[in-house]
Amino acid sequence: MFQAAFRQGLSVVLKGPTGCGKTRFVEAMAHDLDRPLVTVACHDDLTTADLVGRFLLRGGETEWVDGPLTRAVREGAICYLDEVVEARQDTTVVLHPLADHRRQLPIERLGVTLDAAPGFCLVVSYNPGYQSVLKDLKDSTRQRMVAIELGFPPADVEEKIVAHEAGIDGGTAAELVRLGQAIRRLETTGLREVASTRVLIAAARLVAEGLSPREAARAAVVGPLTDDATVTSGLLEMIRVYLTDPAG
Amino acid sequence: MIDLETLRSAGSGQAHGDGPERLGLLASALAGRPLEVAAGSPGERAWTDGRTVFVDADSGAPDRLRAVAVQASLLAAGSLERDVVRKLTRRPTLARRYLAVEGHRALAAIEDVLPPVVRSLIDAEAVARADSPGASLDAALSRAAIADPPESFGTIRARDLLASVANAEVSPTARGQAPRERRREVLAEIADDLTIADPFSISVGGGGALGRLLARALQLVRQLRGGGPPGADAPTHRTRTGAGGGVLATGIAGALEDTSVERRDARYPEWDAHRRRYRPDWCTVREVEPRLTDHVLLPAPPAHGLRRPLGRLGTGLDRCNRQIQGADIDVDAVVEARVAAMAGSTPDEAVYLDVRRRRRDLSVLLLLDVSGSAAERSAAGETVHAHQRAAAAALTTALHDLGDRVALYAYRSHGRSDVQLMPVKLFDDGMDVVVLRRLDGLAPAAYSRLGAAIRHGAAVLERRGRTSRRLLVVLSDGLAYDHGYELAYGAADARRALAEARRRGTGCVCLTVGAGTDPETLRRVFGSAAHATAPRTEQLAQVIGPLFRAALRSAEVPRRRIARR
Repeated sequence: MFQAAFRQGLSVVLKGPTGCGKTRFVEAMAHDLDRPLVTVACHDDLTTADLVGRFLLRGGETEWVDGPLTRAVREGAICYLDEVVEARQDTTVVLHPLADHRRQLPIERLGVTLDAAPGFCLVVSYNPGYQSVLKDLKDSTRQRMVAIELGFPPADVEEKIVAHEAGIDGGTAAELVRLGQAIRRLETTGLREVASTRVLIAAARLVAEGLSPREAARAAVVGPLTDDATVTSGLLEMIRVYLTDPAG
Repeated sequence: MIDLETLRSAGSGQAHGDGPERLGLLASALAGRPLEVAAGSPGERAWTDGRTVFVDADSGAPDRLRAVAVQASLLAAGSLERDVVRKLTRRPTLARRYLAVEGHRALAAIEDVLPPVVRSLIDAEAVARADSPGASLDAALSRAAIADPPESFGTIRARDLLASVANAEVSPTARGQAPRERRREVLAEIADDLTIADPFSISVGGGGALGRLLARALQLVRQLRGGGPPGADAPTHRTRTGAGGGVLATGIAGALEDTSVERRDARYPEWDAHRRRYRPDWCTVREVEPRLTDHVLLPAPPAHGLRRPLGRLGTGLDRCNRQIQGADIDVDAVVEARVAAMAGSTPDEAVYLDVRRRRRDLSVLLLLDVSGSAAERSAAGETVHAHQRAAAAALTTALHDLGDRVALYAYRSHGRSDVQLMPVKLFDDGMDVVVLRRLDGLAPAAYSRLGAAIRHGAAVLERRGRTSRRLLVVLSDGLAYDHGYELAYGAADARRALAEARRRGTGCVCLTVGAGTDPETLRRVFGSAAHATAPRTEQLAQVIGPLFRAALRSAEVPRRRIARR
């Protein structure tokens, strides 16, 4: 799907929960398509100038410096805007001419309009879980893009990922994944965040360093998920049930 | 090194000890819906009513776990839906046979997430018998030989299940389960019932037309702040992660006692409208710690509708000159730097112009009325308290997510010497589960001496808000009465208290949600403060923006006056 969109010159929006592998996916795609990758982590203070570029005073002369978006447009690279809803709407509006058929980037301050070099592709990502609160990705922006939904991988795949990334045995990986799957079923009951693949890998890596699975899970899974004492004790109980420590 | 045992015994200071309650989260995860676990009568088989799983407290941990897992699986697999369970009432043998077949099917359906020690329960042969609750029921009705269900399968109590489902349909807290059509026609009912033609009456305080003119004039002369160090005055804008929007049917809150941990005794005057003078030190306000509800998992407040209108409040763009970095070059600064360089001295590095969105430096204190009048039910069956509580949760969450300082206090009173303000969320508290649990633990009772509550709220806001702009939001049904605080007298006092706050530079907004109070009464109680009434929280979104803005503007007039002096 991604490659099809790329070849057609379409922009892509990746939707998925945090820690499910969106960034990894873009890196893999950039590698497969043999294009350089420019990544921008979006946040509320991101201005248009941060993306497009600005004049700097260097040695008494004013010098224009390209921003990451402009660089990507010139070089024909893939520009990946991570968590695009975090950026302000007046900033994301600069993406519109790039995202539709025009594939152009107007730079006001220079008074030029750049045509995107072949190989340029605009990719943005966001987490629909947050989205339901913000609802801030403008419809006009959304409709210019092709959407790819990413979710957590199915259990057997996730086991392999966890085992491979952390370098642990399949049995422990399976236990961690099973715990993660159970925690994800709590999403509908009001637990604000669930255990992502990334968090399971972190726990697995602690195990690879010698911690017991239960200790690793307590640090890498429970701690980041909640500060509430009662939720914590419930999660600890789940850890006790799903994970076995080597001693017993 | 902290081990799990120490952690567990440390955590048992709360309502949940080492008992079966700790399996609540696991049960909810397996069932895919919020579930609690409690100790049932000893020696009895495990059972569930759809909201709680009751297990034998004396059983060992592995047996308890298996029993909870089976009950949760049954709920997840739809084995205990009304239409099936109805056929099991008064037929214990049939229920046993059904459980024997359906239990295995339900477990197998979620085998992937079952803890290892539970998976061993599954009998593949039994699973092959049925592929749905209906098929299991057919098998149970047939003459085929079916072995009794194992101990760990517990039992099915059909009558308790049906009773609790029936409760859930009537219960006002089962919001998400009410079908859309019912809600719509109920809304129409309320709209007819209210004698208000336009439910949103907004009156801006501060001298009517003159005040408006003044406000507009002052806007034009607004002073731009000079370029200071980046971000010095503006608090950082944080975006908190949002919730998935889950809806829970919560149970009934417990008894009414507050743990009266006295924080502060404050005395406030009261306005005597009859004699037209103040009664000094008339009311005693105590801050009382609210109790927490037992429920752990609570619905996410419906805050998303409010973020947009609240987010647009007073955020302007500031052009800041002479910044170390910025989008544009500040020509004046550059010229000066060049001159300085040519004159031989070191040029200043700050030669850029930054256009920053000014965060609005706002603190908000919400006062939630939890007096007895809030227990009134509207036509839809929901109490005013439920509406107001939802509105309070939504507003607090939205404001907190936007980075404002927000505090939430509930109030009620028993006479002038006992006005209670319960801090649900302090300014420096995070917006987390504890706040929601305090909110959920509130129950309407006693009376409402609104004037004292307003004065204390405004005082707390001034003392602890620490921002230049302040907003006091009162969530109440507009009926303020207490001993020696009859309606007209109380209304006059409340009006006066609001005016005092406004004069000191705090904007006041009064919101009435879900109550049928007529606009005349509201106007009498809230006076010229900005106020609005709506049947549901969701409708507040339409008025909240202009309402808050109007309140802030009317407070800015006196603030600027004070500042200029």
